[in-house]
Amino acid sequence: MIQHPGVLALLLASGLVTLLVVAAAGLGWQILRHWDQHSGTESQLALERRTYLVSALLSLALGVQVLSLFLFIFTADGLHSQFVGAMCAAGSLAAAPYGYTTLLLKVGTCLLAGAWIVLHRADIRAYDCPLIRPKFGLLLGLAPLVLAETWFQTRYLTGLRADVMTSCCGSLFGQGREGIAAELAGLPPALMHPLFWGSLLAFAVAGGWFLRTRRGALAFSLLGLAFFVIALVALVSVFGLYIYELPTHHCPFCLLHREHGFVGYPLYATLLGGALTALGVGVLSPFRGRTSLASVLPAMQAKLAWTALGCAAVFTLIVGIWALVSPLRL
Amino acid sequence: MIELAQVVKTYSAGLATPYTAVAGVTLDIPGGQLTVLKGPSGSGKTTLLSLIGCMARPTSGRIHLRGLPPGLLPQGADADPLEITSLPERFLTTIRRRTFGFIFQQFNLVRGISVLENVMLPTYPTGEDRETVEARAVTRLEALGMARHLKAPVDRLSGGEAQRVAIARALINDPPVIIADEPTAHLDSRLSAEFMELMGQFKGAGRTLLIASHDPIVHDSPLADLVIVMRDGQVVTAP
Repeated sequence: MIQHPGVLALLLASGLVTLLVVAAAGLGWQILRHWDQHSGTESQLALERRTYLVSALLSLALGVQVLSLFLFIFTADGLHSQFVGAMCAAGSLAAAPYGYTTLLLKVGTCLLAGAWIVLHRADIRAYDCPLIRPKFGLLLGLAPLVLAETWFQTRYLTGLRADVMTSCCGSLFGQGREGIAAELAGLPPALMHPLFWGSLLAFAVAGGWFLRTRRGALAFSLLGLAFFVIALVALVSVFGLYIYELPTHHCPFCLLHREHGFVGYPLYATLLGGALTALGVGVLSPFRGRTSLASVLPAMQAKLAWTALGCAAVFTLIVGIWALVSPLRL
Repeated sequence: MIELAQVVKTYSAGLATPYTAVAGVTLDIPGGQLTVLKGPSGSGKTTLLSLIGCMARPTSGRIHLRGLPPGLLPQGADADPLEITSLPERFLTTIRRRTFGFIFQQFNLVRGISVLENVMLPTYPTGEDRETVEARAVTRLEALGMARHLKAPVDRLSGGEAQRVAIARALINDPPVIIADEPTAHLDSRLSAEFMELMGQFKGAGRTLLIASHDPIVHDSPLADLVIVMRDGQVVTAP
């Protein structure tokens, strides 16, 4: 294991988050089985008190979980100089088993953690805990993923050895290589441009429709998620080339380097933030009929929708400006 | 107005020395009337008041409030009756501030600041305009005969005067319910009778009054509509 501050922070944060999530999942199981707000029994009142405390701690822990995705990428990027052949985080992630598995699991847990936080924020605005069961039901689904992520992350980070030979991003994401990542990175601009702009238009139209009529929340959410996935692929396959000013470099991680103005951080932050908020609109949608949430959810959904659209706009603006000023023409 | 169902409050529950201060109280306290909780020290009166006034949570049982002023909960979510024992703290704070006025046995005035500032204190978290609040505080104090003490530090007040300031402070947010815990414990008979006279005026104005006391001037008063006798955390006699 390499004793890098980022590695230690990731191990510590994951350990604490996992402990809290597992303990909260135990409480969640009790809530799903025994929660009855009409009952005034001692066990129900004790459950209510513990729920408030655990939920508050859990929302903080899951916030850390979301941020840990960036710390993970930042750490992997910072470690690349330790490995022979690595030029960025792409090489670091390939330097030990489970690097990319951990990254994928982290993206998944981030989205679910974000959905949980959205549910929690809505739940605490109502006086009668109307989302307590969905919230803790989701937590029971999230707990195994967090456990798996912690396991794979620990295996990956403790398996890292300095001076091992690894692949560089050019060989992992280069055109003509095999594998899903390389194939996605190699998608032609002629396909990606219409896909990106078309999905952006559909997302914007769905957003406008939703904000005007407060209908179509689920469609907005799905179109939003689709847009941010397409935007990620477009970033690697097309827009990244303008930033690198190279027609063959498709690395998703070199964008995080100083020589490219650290542009990867705002781009990935808008992608993740937009996906989380678009997901949040859909997650809240089934609960709009709850009396105690009647005045709360529309405003919350509107705020989330505006944020998701704002993230899409900022992302488009950054890649658009870069494409315009770049000397590269595709 | 206030309904209690099998309310229990146990301190140090789960520890070596648990103490049950309120043991399964079921009550219906009517609105617009004066209700007295009577009983010896340790009978659970103060604990029961703190549970009703949202200052503590019961170990088990539920408390419902009816006829609360509108706007305590998010718009469109007002509930009647409202169950308060399961409410998160963020809602309890508003309910406590807007529904209840508290008069404590020791008055609990803040020393070192003036009478007027003491009365205005509960309004500070509401963000209400200072001039409006000050005008209201002055009106309350004038009605209680404290006009000439507005700028006086509370340290220099007599027992009766201090209590009048405590009453003005309890009324500053115009609460529909006034809760008083042994309010005459530090007053002589004349001041106690004056206190009950004031309570009669508030009752006439439609407020609900809930007083815990073992002072005969209070529980034998003709103003008391309902006297509930408590002993060992339980209600001994109630209508």
